[in-house]
Amino acid sequence: MRGRVGSAVRIAIPMGGLIGLIVLPLFLTPYQRSVLTEIMIWGLFAMAFDLLYGYTGMLSFGQALFFGAGAYGIAFAVLRLGWGIWEALAFGILVAAFLALLVGVVAVRVTGHYFLILTITFSVISVLVLQSGHWRWLSRGYVASPFTPPPVPLGPWKLSLVDPLMNYYWVLVFVVVSFVTCWRIVHSPLGKVFQCIRENEERSRLIGYHVERFKLIAFVLGGLFSGLSGALLALTLRYVDISFFELALSGKAVAWTVIGGAGTLVGAFLGASVFIISTDYLSAWIVNVPLSIGLLLLLTVTFAPDGLVGVVRRLTLGSVSADGGKPS
Amino acid sequence: MEILPQLILGAINGLVWGFILALIALGLTLIFGLLEIINISHGELYMLGAVLGWYILQLTGNFWVSLLLAPLVVGLLGLAIERGVLRPIEGKPIITIIATFGLSMIFQQAVLSVFGGAPQRIAAPVGWEVSIMGFGYSGYRFFVALCSLLAISALWGFLHRFKYGMWMRAVRQDREMALALGIPISQVYMLTFGLGAALAAFGGILAAPIVALEFRMGLDILPAVFIVVIIGGLGSLEGSLLAALLIGELEGITSVFVTPTTARIFSLVFMSAVLLFRPEGLLGRHR
Repeated sequence: MRGRVGSAVRIAIPMGGLIGLIVLPLFLTPYQRSVLTEIMIWGLFAMAFDLLYGYTGMLSFGQALFFGAGAYGIAFAVLRLGWGIWEALAFGILVAAFLALLVGVVAVRVTGHYFLILTITFSVISVLVLQSGHWRWLSRGYVASPFTPPPVPLGPWKLSLVDPLMNYYWVLVFVVVSFVTCWRIVHSPLGKVFQCIRENEERSRLIGYHVERFKLIAFVLGGLFSGLSGALLALTLRYVDISFFELALSGKAVAWTVIGGAGTLVGAFLGASVFIISTDYLSAWIVNVPLSIGLLLLLTVTFAPDGLVGVVRRLTLGSVSADGGKPS
Repeated sequence: MEILPQLILGAINGLVWGFILALIALGLTLIFGLLEIINISHGELYMLGAVLGWYILQLTGNFWVSLLLAPLVVGLLGLAIERGVLRPIEGKPIITIIATFGLSMIFQQAVLSVFGGAPQRIAAPVGWEVSIMGFGYSGYRFFVALCSLLAISALWGFLHRFKYGMWMRAVRQDREMALALGIPISQVYMLTFGLGAALAAFGGILAAPIVALEFRMGLDILPAVFIVVIIGGLGSLEGSLLAALLIGELEGITSVFVTPTTARIFSLVFMSAVLLFRPEGLLGRHR
């Protein structure tokens, strides 16, 4: 059963999904299109977390730090340095990856709850620094800094990201490229080492892997993709402010991934879309959006703790694949 | 301005702040030691203590009533949280952490919509001032240190002299054996969470006349508390107490020279250094 039909299905589903994502926005209202754009950006952010948690077993609760760094980086490069889009984007991603390297050097030495606390601490302190109004040269603190995304030079054309449809495809390209990259990473020998560490850190060390080094690689990769998603959101919303750094964002990435199904990459996007669409509907009659997110979170972890991908797998395959196992 | 009196003031401020930190960190580490979960909503319990205290003060006009009632109410809330939210998902650490994160969002937003976003203040109930080397110093801060010290001693006494306290220590040491001896573990878990919540709220109401009350004040204190429990060693009560006083002093004294934000960064660097050289914390037993 899993022979030719299985592989055909495995090619057909992603291809169909991709074609759907290319064609779909042409039929959506501008509002629905903006929701879809955000879902893809947040899904990318959650996928970066899944790389850390679902594949390497590192429960980071501080990914918002790198998300915000990517957003601030690109805004800084555009506003203060006057750089073009590619240089600015690269700058934002590199700032995020560099911060991840700094935090990672300390964080990969500890495991379990210590790691969790450490990542929260670094992330919350970054918010306090920006909030305090000191170090104003670095940021503008609370104040939202609006900026205009520079045009994308592509051959003879200059594409403007201010156009929502163009921005949608711009985001789509990066999300697809990142997804394929992460897919290749987790199925490469490097990814197998990550999963080996997730399953048993001591044993990986005994086999001879330099566990800290591989965890650092995973952490920097996670920071890099988080930074990319932050930069993409900054380009989409055309401003940055302190909300890009909030602890709540890290929590959402954790929630979306675990609800969607950790260790699957797709689960991150699934969780993000389910949550964003349902809170969108909820907010029509519940005024306070974060409150409804909190309630939804409590309800889902209580009633579907093994994630949506787990539920789908149970329904379709009758058994849960070993690939979606959650480290505890 | 001379440097010596400022240093002394900084040291006293740090001591007072260290005691408040100790109350909150002890609650957190008590919960971790038994239930093995990191309560992300712990900062919000501190915030709830302060905000509830403000409401009770508005109703009764008496600070001492709110000093007693606010921790009691938050403690009861803690019992309800353990029973209603955490019990059904017991044994799933990640899910539990996400649940406490959901709780922290709910508390923050609930307070924001009821209490409003504008910071409020409570006047210090103790008016007298102490003169230290020519500077007037609020006597209330000494009262805070004294109250915290009393509460911490009471906690120690409770853990060593009372039935439930000894049960708590027993469950901490060996859960299976405690269960075999007939200790009602579920009750002990519930009580632990309630006690931890009440300690955080007590810290909150004590700190209320010193800090600005707002829905985000839990987030302000969370990193400091986390730094304390990491330096002290997760689950070690003595370590948390020591580390809280240490971090309080560090931030108090450095704040004389630099901004509080930079002082907080100093403690972050200090924590990183401790982790690099002693990953289990100062008094921690295991990782």
